[in-house]
Amino acid sequence: MKLNRRELLERCAAFGAVTLASSVSLPALAAAWDEAERKKTTPHSELGPFFKRDAPHDTVLRKPGDAGMPMALSGVVYDTRGEVVPDAKIDIWHTDNAGFYDIDGYRFRTQLIPGPKGAYAIDSVVPGHYPSRVCQHVHYLVTAPGHKPLITQMYFATDPVFDGDPAKNYTRDPLCGSIDLVRPVMIKSDGNQMVAAVTFDLVMERA
Amino acid sequence: MRSLVPIALLLSCAISAVAASKPIAKMQLPCPAYYQTLSPDGTQLVVSCRDMSMVVLSVPEGKTLRTIPVESKAYSAAYSSDGKWLAIGYQGGSVEVTSTKGTASAQRWQGGPRRIDLLSFLPDGKTLVVGPSDEAVRVWSFSETPRLVATLPFEFGGASAAEASPDGKLLVIAGGDTAVRFYDTATWQKTSENRDFLLESFALQFTPDGKQVLVGGADARITVLDAATAKQVKQLPADGGSYIVGLAMLGDKHSAATVYLDDAGHKPPHAVVWDLASGKSSTLGDGVVPTCGEKVAGKLWMCSADGKTLTVSQYD
Repeated sequence: MKLNRRELLERCAAFGAVTLASSVSLPALAAAWDEAERKKTTPHSELGPFFKRDAPHDTVLRKPGDAGMPMALSGVVYDTRGEVVPDAKIDIWHTDNAGFYDIDGYRFRTQLIPGPKGAYAIDSVVPGHYPSRVCQHVHYLVTAPGHKPLITQMYFATDPVFDGDPAKNYTRDPLCGSIDLVRPVMIKSDGNQMVAAVTFDLVMERA
Repeated sequence: MRSLVPIALLLSCAISAVAASKPIAKMQLPCPAYYQTLSPDGTQLVVSCRDMSMVVLSVPEGKTLRTIPVESKAYSAAYSSDGKWLAIGYQGGSVEVTSTKGTASAQRWQGGPRRIDLLSFLPDGKTLVVGPSDEAVRVWSFSETPRLVATLPFEFGGASAAEASPDGKLLVIAGGDTAVRFYDTATWQKTSENRDFLLESFALQFTPDGKQVLVGGADARITVLDAATAKQVKQLPADGGSYIVGLAMLGDKHSAATVYLDDAGHKPPHAVVWDLASGKSSTLGDGVVPTCGEKVAGKLWMCSADGKTLTVSQYD
């Protein structure tokens, strides 16, 4: 049986595990706990003109022979209370390693249904730069019943544009409105090759 | 822009595939610029600079009438069809409407919650369609104190193009969610929609009789929709590799000019004229890449910029 925060507090209080000062009410304590654990909504970064509807539900976007460093991109979809968002759909799209979006087909485009724990993961390649955008980036569109659509982009802390200091230089791309969208890149080996591993959790706001 | 420039506004009007051009005005380009917005009477020109400042120029005199500094970050501009009003949309979601003749004081208000990417007047000259980035469209009446008259939502994303019918009774909006929706401007109820587009549309143009709408966008082709049902009437071949960012019916009423831009910047802009009946196309002959277009006193006026000089030409 899963208890919500208030029920858990009530049980703890009933069993003496929690002793409340006379000036603190149970709802106030529950609210404070909620607030302390509240997750910040993932910042918006615009949809851009390259979204394509009805992408296939592929998790392996990288094909043998694709240029570019392999990328393992993963994360979890939460709400602001830190709970998994049920029935979410995640559209992910990015350029190939040369900076081209596939308009005719669906290369490097997918729509994912996260698992029961809200997790998603794809294998792809690190996208390239293209002339009219400053930074390498991956587009996200996340929708779920009862939640506001989340439109954002993920950036790579290793992008040369940041000169090794993304906290200072992330605004070099005018569309990157928050350092929270710049994610560290772990270089790992999968036994056969080096892979750029990036984790990008997504936090949705209730409608 | 959307991601890069407000491409839906890049070109909204007509260009001509034919005839020689006659220079109307040449002036120094005040800044590196994406695109310009020409007033319907041809007397003013808004230059949208790459640094998100804007400069309003007098076309006859070539002098600067007003400069909106880079700190203000102006993202969109539109003239009313009678040329009386200029609307400018800003980074923080505010909208400013000024009288182009200086006959009324400017109004500025919070037109949306986020950067304003799209502005479009209804033909009544009193109603302004405001498209904040990735947000629902807000329709404002500004004849007195600005009043919100409608909010037109999307499944997700924001508006990428909006166009009123010639009689002002219908408004068609292309959304980031790829749907094209029609609204009754008397009730602001949706009358029909087309959800067959897989990619976003950036340009909309009613036919002169108001019965059909040409739609162009990331699929690089013209799709003709019935304005009453939103159903597809016909589709022309694609000109791949670029997007349609502007289109217009030409004066012969059976040709449409399209402007293509590769928003990723890999390919140069170009313009093509399509015969809507045969589907045949021809590239705009003189190699001019238009950066604005407007019908002025029945003639087609276009801007072009070479990086230093801005030329406004009339096409017969």
